[in-house]
Amino acid sequence: MVDVAHDVCPAATADKRPVTFRGGLFLPRTHRLVGFAALVALILLWQAASSFGWMSPVLAPSPGEVIDALRRMALSGELATHLSASLVRLAGGFAIGGTAGIAFGMAIGLSSLVRSPGATLVAALFPIPKIALLPLFILWFGIGESSKVATIAFGTFFPMVIATYGAVDNVDRSLVRMGRSFGLSSFAIISKIILPGALPGILSGMRIASSIGIVLLIAAEMIGANEGVGALVLAAGNLMQSDRLLAGVVVLSLLGLTVAGVIGAVEKRLLAWR
Amino acid sequence: MQLIADHIAHAYGPLPVLDDISFTVGPGEVVAIVGPSGCGKSTLLRILGGLEKPQAGAALVAGAPPAASLNPLTFVFQDFALLPWRTVEGNVRLVLEGHGLLQAVVADTVRDVLARTGLTDFAKAYPKQLSGGMRQRVGIARALAARPAVLLMDEPLSALDAQTRELLMDDLVQLVSAEGSAEALGMVYVTHNLDEAVRLADRILVLSRRPGRVRETVTIAGDRRARRSDDPELVRRARELWDLIRADAAEADRELADGEAING
Amino acid sequence: MAAFVVVGLAGSVLSAAAQEKVTVGVLRFVSSGGLFLAVEKGYFKDEGLDVELKFFEAAQPIALAVVSGDTEFGVTAFTAGFYNLAGKGALKVIAAQAREKKGYEGNLVLASNAAYEKGLTSLDKLSGKSVGITQVGSSFHYQMGQIAAANGFALKSVELKPLQSLPNMVASIKSGQVDAIIIAPHLAKPLVASGEAKLIGRVSDVTEYQFGGLFTSTKMITEKRATVEKFVRAYQKGAADYAKAFLAKDASGNIAYAPDSDATAALVAKHVYPSEESAQAAAKVKGAAFFVDEKARLDVADILTQVQWLKDEGLVDASVDAKSILDLSFIDGHINAN
Ligand SMILES: Nc1ncnc2c1ncn2[C@@H]1O[C@H](COP(=O)(O)OP(=O)(O)OP(=O)(O)O)[C@@H](O)[C@H]1O
Ligand SMILES: [Mg+2]
Repeated sequence: MVDVAHDVCPAATADKRPVTFRGGLFLPRTHRLVGFAALVALILLWQAASSFGWMSPVLAPSPGEVIDALRRMALSGELATHLSASLVRLAGGFAIGGTAGIAFGMAIGLSSLVRSPGATLVAALFPIPKIALLPLFILWFGIGESSKVATIAFGTFFPMVIATYGAVDNVDRSLVRMGRSFGLSSFAIISKIILPGALPGILSGMRIASSIGIVLLIAAEMIGANEGVGALVLAAGNLMQSDRLLAGVVVLSLLGLTVAGVIGAVEKRLLAWR
Repeated sequence: MQLIADHIAHAYGPLPVLDDISFTVGPGEVVAIVGPSGCGKSTLLRILGGLEKPQAGAALVAGAPPAASLNPLTFVFQDFALLPWRTVEGNVRLVLEGHGLLQAVVADTVRDVLARTGLTDFAKAYPKQLSGGMRQRVGIARALAARPAVLLMDEPLSALDAQTRELLMDDLVQLVSAEGSAEALGMVYVTHNLDEAVRLADRILVLSRRPGRVRETVTIAGDRRARRSDDPELVRRARELWDLIRADAAEADRELADGEAING
Repeated sequence: MAAFVVVGLAGSVLSAAAQEKVTVGVLRFVSSGGLFLAVEKGYFKDEGLDVELKFFEAAQPIALAVVSGDTEFGVTAFTAGFYNLAGKGALKVIAAQAREKKGYEGNLVLASNAAYEKGLTSLDKLSGKSVGITQVGSSFHYQMGQIAAANGFALKSVELKPLQSLPNMVASIKSGQVDAIIIAPHLAKPLVASGEAKLIGRVSDVTEYQFGGLFTSTKMITEKRATVEKFVRAYQKGAADYAKAFLAKDASGNIAYAPDSDATAALVAKHVYPSEESAQAAAKVKGAAFFVDEKARLDVADILTQVQWLKDEGLVDASVDAKSILDLSFIDGHINAN
């Protein structure tokens, strides 16, 4: 029998060494469980700090107290009232701001006429803190529901415009040329090539815009609101009820996770081709 | 139907690209266009397909397109230009939508062109699941679904490996040789690959370096189905073509490098 | 000349060094006038205290600053938030600030012109109307509760609109977005004078009310009791000056200003309207002078009532013990202390 090793490495066998590995590509893997464990560990540490008196109860309530506040609010139906009031505002505001943002973003992405003025206006108006405009919104829309919905609509509009026209710009122009060359109508090109091509960008824009919408809930519910998670958090802050305050914050955070989850599921469905 | 290039000339700003190009493609004919890089081949093809307006001259058509043609002048692209979110079937279907065709007719057409391009088993696959050769087959199937009079192909095989290229070339030969009637498919075939040109074309237009002018029209006689890539006669013709182009190509190459150096 | 300045500086540095430095958190309100007078007239200096005033924009942060030790004392109105924080044991109320008292300046109830025309002309008609307040659990909220109780309707029948800030309240009553507001007199009077809103009642007609107080941290009381005692003594002298200048009444029950009232008002105005011309500002001070007890005594029973009401409304936690919030040992003879 021929010695295999000898066969493979016929020469200079004395000086064999492995080549240096150079394949590390900074591709961190995600472990859901590890992330969850980090969160649990933090909460346990916090609970311990409260229970063993390392942290004064004046500074912050313990997680147990926060959960208890949450439980009481859930049982009394208070939570449902606040949550549904906020969800209606969030859904309404995001529907208006998102739809208008996608439409305007498409217009900027497709039409030279709209592009320069539109993109400039958006760049100028996007950084304005919407809270600064709250007094104006109250003048324009009153202190009822419309000013709250308007705040969220206004806040979600701009990120959606920017995400949409960025996404449209990124659609491969050779696909558009292909569509033209087959005589597709402009409407067909927009609806069958540009819109689906821009969809990944639009959806990731939605992630950001929906988070901004949740952030703006507090601002929107600052004026004249008795119901809503934002109003709950504000009132708890005013009353120095830090357990209820943090309970409200937990609800906002869960709301954010849920919305992100929903968008993620939609992404998975619509972007299966990736 | 005939496609006619009638004294076409074009320039991008101060840069003349094409100068007085004239030729005709009829049913069942294949005209290959070769020439050094940057001489305006792609521009010419875009003008012929109506994607761009020439500065002088015109792209004309004469005679009736094939019955039920949806798009008499149809492109096949070098980069395939497939919609990644549609399946193979969906990509073909795209060019059949919006014409008011019956669902059954659409389904028949899709099935037919997929069968002709050997894609029947891949109907439900997404482009990214396919090899390059398979993707270009989809491009060709999509083009055929539109029942074109003339196929406009811009280096359709250049993104593929040599073996795949060979196989697809056989298919293209079959495609343009199918019928001899007035409804037969014509083709304008832009390529850098002279072997492909001699294998497929009836006439080969050799363009000069920019601005592209027709330096010579080379005719290749005989049934293309009988040609083989290692036929010594064809090898000799390809060699001749290369001799024609070589000086120009070298010159164009240097020019491009200079241009880049200046622009850079 | 230069030498004189240097000597002057050195002198002040020396005397300051001998004094104990304390800071007080306070809002720029006339109702804290006693504190400002004690500073201006040097009563704190006399006690050996170098008092620095730290001005805040809202009441809540003052309480938090005292808890965190950023300021030693605080003077503001009581809110549900204050009671919740104090109920955790870190704060003690030791003296009074202003009080809502019949016959003196106090918060006013305004109706929007539109609501007034539709018949909102008195406090008993507030049921079913919308009323703007600053925040949930604020003094305005509590006072609205007292108005409701006194007029025999449920607070729930009033639609309370938290508007977060005084400017928002003013804007909302002007534009008729709320039917009524309860607001401090210095803001209410211009609105009524210009016809932008209608006066429909005074809170003091309905209830007397301990508005706010002087408080410090529990730690200060245990660790630096002497300092707190000195502070309270000086604070009381300021309160007495305030009462003498702005609250004295003649036989017919009208406010009778003393000859030096204007000068006293000007001292208060320095802190309340720092950027305004002094004569005009002094007049504004006199027109907005809430009742302040001359000895800074707290109305203890009223505070207990307040806390109980706020507990009943769910605005103060049931665990808060009102008595433990108060430290009555620094002043003799607090009112209704039994
Ligand atoms: N849209 C355009 N605007 C300006 N110049 C262009 C444009 N398209 C092409 N050109 C220029 O015109 C010349 C011809 O381009 P074209 O793409 O037609 O050449 P080509 O023969 O297809 O080259 P290749 O063999 O490299 O594909 C080139 O110099 C190119 O830089
Ligand atoms: Mg080209």
